Amino acid sequence: MNVELTDLTRRFGRTTAVSGVTLEVGPGVFGLLGPNGAGKTSLLRMMATVIPPTSGRLRLLGRDPGSYAPRREVRRRLGYLPQSLGYYPGFTVAEFVEYFALLKDMPPGRVPAAVAAAIERVGLGDRPRAKLRTLSGGMLRRAGIAQAIVNEPELLLLDEPTAGLDPEQRVAFRGLLRDFGQRATVIVSTHLVEDVGAACTQVALMEQGRIVFHGTPAELTARGEGSGAAGDAPLERGYSAVLAAARSVTAARA
Amino acid sequence: MSGTDAGPPDVDLGRVWLGVAAQVWRREPGWAERAAGRLLRSPGLARALVTTPSLLLGWLIATPVVLVAGVLATLGTGTPYVPLLAPAVAAAGIAYAYGPGIDPAWELSRSMAVSDRMVLLVRAVAVFGLNAALGLAASAASGAAAALTFGWLVPMTAVCCLALAAATLARSANIGVAAGMSGWVITVLAGQAAAGRLTAVITDSSLILPYLAFAACCGAVAAYATRIPRGTS
Repeated sequence: MNVELTDLTRRFGRTTAVSGVTLEVGPGVFGLLGPNGAGKTSLLRMMATVIPPTSGRLRLLGRDPGSYAPRREVRRRLGYLPQSLGYYPGFTVAEFVEYFALLKDMPPGRVPAAVAAAIERVGLGDRPRAKLRTLSGGMLRRAGIAQAIVNEPELLLLDEPTAGLDPEQRVAFRGLLRDFGQRATVIVSTHLVEDVGAACTQVALMEQGRIVFHGTPAELTARGEGSGAAGDAPLERGYSAVLAAARSVTAARA
Repeated sequence: MSGTDAGPPDVDLGRVWLGVAAQVWRREPGWAERAAGRLLRSPGLARALVTTPSLLLGWLIATPVVLVAGVLATLGTGTPYVPLLAPAVAAAGIAYAYGPGIDPAWELSRSMAVSDRMVLLVRAVAVFGLNAALGLAASAASGAAAALTFGWLVPMTAVCCLALAAATLARSANIGVAAGMSGWVITVLAGQAAAGRLTAVITDSSLILPYLAFAACCGAVAAYATRIPRGTS
């Protein structure tokens, strides 16, 4: 398993963002669904080694990222696209991707080819020298995806990757996800249910810091059948049904 | 998001194009980055160093301008403003070297193999060194006595460490700047009140040890604030 989480918890002051999450994820595309504030981003940030867990056990790519050497090794094999992608306005697309390739400790000789390949794969091959400040939101997102995949990561973590992409780009992006899922673990956090249905082999649904569903998209869809839950598509109805059930359990406990 | 186009069966045009693109798009590092890469033995760290916000062109122009103004004020009034200005300017540069809100891709940088703590350390040392060199040049140009020309280096170390500690602890460069500058102003005014001279905090050799002790404490705070979390529980 490339990702092993055991009773993982993260608190920010008195707020518990992630509460006792236990999860194992192997190669393939894994969708992390949930409403805003469910804890998806905090969970992803812990997996990206940006923040440490408050308690629990985290193993990535067979290593414990709690100590320096294993964490560095994990980071070399990691691709991460944060929800809010900061960028250097004066950098070109190629410079931006190259910067993170170097920070990922890639051998300098391999960097130019890897940068070119990543830029081509996200469809920015016609704008490698465009300054980031001149790009649209969707193009910036694609530049962000390019830096995430530049090192051919074994673990790819994407937080709201399709935000700002047009429908055509989203379809192409799902193809890219499926391609990566053949050989790596891809975890996609999103609140767009259709992305999960189209690209993911496994899905987890988070609510109030907990995982309230874990299964295949087909199993999630089945939860919505005959439930009368709101939603335009079968998967959306499954999503709504699981959320409603989780909330009623929480309300009953309260 | 495009795949590479299929070409004739015997020629992988996509691969050929990527090889061409890699050569055409590759960036040649400047002399400073090449030198830093050799010194640090890490191209990533060197690249991070040359993108330091307080080492960018605008800042590199502003710093000498402030110090030249200090030189002119010193020559015009006889009051040694350069040794009083230099620590504050350096503290601002240190606070603005790295961190959330200052480095646009800070969140992303924290997931990189090149440790963000090492990036901070390298940037802080570079900013300190540059500011010390510029301050010494300005101090010498203002015709100050040797005690004034070199005396501010130790207080500058303390003020820079204070700015760094505040910036890393509060995760705000502005708080770092505010702490560094207000700390220095309070020190200078306290020195004037006690000894009757603005430059007392620079020339009084009995203050060297307290400055160094304070710098060490602030350095420890900065080290704690940027510590690598041990274990996962």
